[in-house]
Amino acid sequence: MKPLNILAIDDESVICEACEMVLSEKGHTVTMRNNGSDGLSAIRQGAYDIVLLDMKLPDMDGMQILKIVMEEKPGLCVIVMTGYSSISNAVEAIKQGADNYLAKPFTDDELIEAVEKACQNKK
Amino acid sequence: MISSANFEDYFFVFRDIIRSVHSSTSLKEVLDVVVQKSTEVLNARGAFLRILNPETNQFEVGAGFGMGERYLHKGPVTTEKMLRDPSELHKVLIITDIWHAPRVEYPQQAWDEGIRMMLDIPLAIKEKMLGLIRIYLSEPRTFSKDELDFIVTVAEQCTCIIERVRLTENQQAHFTHLATQMEKMSSLGRMAAGIAHEINNPLGGILLFSSNMAKKVEPGSFLEKGLIIIIRETQRCKTIIQGLLEFARDKKPQKVPTDVNKIMATAMGVVQNEFYLRHVTVEKHMAEDMVKTLLDENQIEQVFINLLLNALHAVEDHGRVTVQSTVVPARNSIQVEIADNGCGISAQDVKKIFEPFYSNRANGTGLGLAVSYGIIENHQGDIQVFSEPGKGTRFTIELPVVTDPANGKENA
Repeated sequence: MKPLNILAIDDESVICEACEMVLSEKGHTVTMRNNGSDGLSAIRQGAYDIVLLDMKLPDMDGMQILKIVMEEKPGLCVIVMTGYSSISNAVEAIKQGADNYLAKPFTDDELIEAVEKACQNKK
Repeated sequence: MISSANFEDYFFVFRDIIRSVHSSTSLKEVLDVVVQKSTEVLNARGAFLRILNPETNQFEVGAGFGMGERYLHKGPVTTEKMLRDPSELHKVLIITDIWHAPRVEYPQQAWDEGIRMMLDIPLAIKEKMLGLIRIYLSEPRTFSKDELDFIVTVAEQCTCIIERVRLTENQQAHFTHLATQMEKMSSLGRMAAGIAHEINNPLGGILLFSSNMAKKVEPGSFLEKGLIIIIRETQRCKTIIQGLLEFARDKKPQKVPTDVNKIMATAMGVVQNEFYLRHVTVEKHMAEDMVKTLLDENQIEQVFINLLLNALHAVEDHGRVTVQSTVVPARNSIQVEIADNGCGISAQDVKKIFEPFYSNRANGTGLGLAVSYGIIENHQGDIQVFSEPGKGTRFTIELPVVTDPANGKENA
């Protein structure tokens, strides 16, 4: 798999750091942002292959960010992450255009698999 | 001596009793009228109406008339002396020798009070004794058949009134219990949703790091062992929290006309393997005339899976689980029953079984039955448990047969 440029947006820095560690070991580059507005400006400025997006951020709703991404960068691959491990949340995010869904807590393998699947689907 | 009362007097006594039944809201007031009027019309010294308290197995004074305070406080009256012979439940017992009658527990006190004769009229429904009217007389006399008939009829009236009041009280207690239960569950649900989200985040960190580290340590080492335990336990937390969220979410059921037998078949398919591995047989008696009703298939399936797994855990290997469905036309409902011949649940535990976090299993979350209870409640149904330790447990679910004419859907 070719190295990807990944943006992780989560106010829980432990999640960002863990994602960074797991994915960088696979050769990917991970940029971390801890709130919605920083995350959104990173999306607008940078060229990312995948965004790992938490649904509950201190300043913005993840769903709101997802909508903006779909409008501004419809080709961008988004994997949503949430602590509310419910199917209805996942369905809603997928309906809004997210490519995959991770229910916290998830393992490194689940993260890698989600990233690979989302990438394949985009191709 | 023969009683001087005539039929007119009896009629007035009945009239007064019936009036008090209709005008009074208190059982005590009605019973007061009964003892007073009966005493007067029979020209007796006094009367006590005692009601059996099933918890203490003692007779408690429900109403009294004409007797001294001292006599009233002589002590408890126990059932053993009163209930020697069930065949005596529906007739008047005349006690002329109060010193030697086994039913008279305090002969000395009675004698001191000037009592020389007693009449015992049990208040009974079939074989069940609810209480007793005892009429006290200052001197022995004979009673005509009409008089005895009158006394028995008054007792029958009293029995009906007491039973009716008991039923109402029981119903009220049941509703109060349900209301408290609901309140407890909904506040807990709100709290659970908040906690679940907060906990999933730190768990996310733990699981990502531990699952990643487990790959980096030497295979078979203590470190790997420890990390595998951390991973497993974190995933267990995840399951518990998922259950909690499931419980907390006040999800409106997505109801479609469904055959409950089909849902049961799907649920049994899910757990089939587990049953097979434990050599537990499942007996099915599904109603062939089952009607469709509006149900959320996923939610009801979840309830069935919960109950089937509970039954499986309750029985030893080679146990037996019985599944049954019936149509109850008289109540316009359907009933599903899941029973096992397993270890059973103690009466004390049965009371708490639908409460969240109540579990007897080491790895149980205590949410399965609480969630099931909520789901059946959301279907306007009823779930009940009957259990006997050592013999088994039976869960019954009753669901109303509902059609949805607005959408043109039929339940046939």
